[in-house]
Amino acid sequence: MKPELELFDRREFFRVVTKSAAILGLAGSARAGAAGQGTTNPFAYDISRFLKTDPKLISHEEVARWPVPRKEARRVAIGPDGQLYVCAGNYITRVSRDGRSGLQLALAGPASCVAVAWDGTIFAGLRDHIEVFDSTGARKARWDSPDPKTWFTGLAVAEKDVFAADAVKLAVLRYDRTGKITGRIGQKDANRNAPGLVVPSPFLDVVLHKDGLLRVNNMGRHQVEAYTIDGDMEAAWGKPTAAIEGFCGCCNPIALAFLPDGRIVTCEKGIPRVKIYSASGEFESVVAGAESFPENALTCNDLNDCVHGGIDAAVDSDGRIYILDLVAGDVRVMKRKV
Amino acid sequence: MDPKSPVEGQVTRRHFLRNGARLMAMTGLGVAAGTLATRSTSAAWVWQLDPAKCLHCGNCATHCVLEQSAVKCVHAYAVCGYCQLCTGFFAPEPNELTTAAENQQCPTAAIQRTYVEDPYYQYSIDEKLCIGCAKCVEGCNRFGNGSLFLQIRHDRCLNCNECAISRSCPGDAFRRVPADHPYLLKTAS
Repeated sequence: MKPELELFDRREFFRVVTKSAAILGLAGSARAGAAGQGTTNPFAYDISRFLKTDPKLISHEEVARWPVPRKEARRVAIGPDGQLYVCAGNYITRVSRDGRSGLQLALAGPASCVAVAWDGTIFAGLRDHIEVFDSTGARKARWDSPDPKTWFTGLAVAEKDVFAADAVKLAVLRYDRTGKITGRIGQKDANRNAPGLVVPSPFLDVVLHKDGLLRVNNMGRHQVEAYTIDGDMEAAWGKPTAAIEGFCGCCNPIALAFLPDGRIVTCEKGIPRVKIYSASGEFESVVAGAESFPENALTCNDLNDCVHGGIDAAVDSDGRIYILDLVAGDVRVMKRKV
Repeated sequence: MDPKSPVEGQVTRRHFLRNGARLMAMTGLGVAAGTLATRSTSAAWVWQLDPAKCLHCGNCATHCVLEQSAVKCVHAYAVCGYCQLCTGFFAPEPNELTTAAENQQCPTAAIQRTYVEDPYYQYSIDEKLCIGCAKCVEGCNRFGNGSLFLQIRHDRCLNCNECAISRSCPGDAFRRVPADHPYLLKTAS
């Protein structure tokens, strides 16, 4: 009999077909909607692989961390007594290795850099001039601004000289200990093999290496340059790339320090990281990668905010590296992994 | 009572025709005024993208009703640092700083790099090639001064009543701006 062969009657058949069509239609539109939201960007500028460091490359571990005594930290240096000197706000604060604040030097404006001589004399860089204090904090001298546009961002001190990095005038000024300018280092000069400093953001740094040569971060060229104190460029190294062995962004590295054995410590912004290179520039290891500075890594996402981010570092005689995170406002003490 | 004289309150043929004509005239005037007002609004206001809100998501390249988007990258030369390593031009890991295709991050090679003087280079946009994907904008904003940014080009934009890109913009960066000031440009501070 015919009715026994039918699975549905006509009414049931149309009901099932209508329901199926409705379900398929809803599913299709949901799928199309999800695609329209653009959950994946086919044109993404992807640097996520640089924000996580290969653990095999990390040579140091954090053994302590303490907040800087004031806001708006800028630079950190280490004195002959092993104590740290932190530029933050309008003050330079002497801090013990475990983070206890001591002497505080009040300045007329924001402290932008500091260096301490073997005899304890403290050279404080403000934006446009340098002030000199003895080890007790008594002001001894003020070296007037060499140029209305001067912006000091780094200081180094030798036995007879002081070197001040001027990020706007694109030179490292050489002073004698009386405050007289005796030379300008880093300006473009073919006779001295100097290509000229390129400084897109105010982070020009200078350190006096144990080999007797100055190291200057020519950040716009993504290289570290070695100069005699008379201004002859002897060597340069550095590779422009976001990869771990090079220097990323418009302008890096932003700060330099060196280990007791002469290896160079570099600090970068944008992709914030601290790395170690041999004295001749071979990449060796990572002290702290971008994952160690989550707040700092965000500062370059907004227009012009890069000038507020950044990192500085100082190294003590035991090889411990003190990293100043300008955004988090703290100092991390890094010790080589056993 | 005259059977042909109008009863008080009753609508006569004359009244009906007069009121009908008035109603039609008023309706016509309303339609004409509405049309004129709409036309004047669409001419006086145009869509634009606020670069301060742009998230460089890539939707401008794919959501415009035009086959090639009306959104293009533009360059504020006064803001640019003329960097040797332009993070808008170069891929994050360039082999070297040359214009070789593998070093560029623009998918259509729409950025021209021209030597100025050591170590500075000028970057300019070839709008015929630019698809408005914002890949260069993201690179420039992340590491540089943000001199590369997106704008709707009004020689291409159809000024749709409801902009298709604006509906998908996650940063709510699209808005109407006066037609006599149709661009939201960046300037050096």
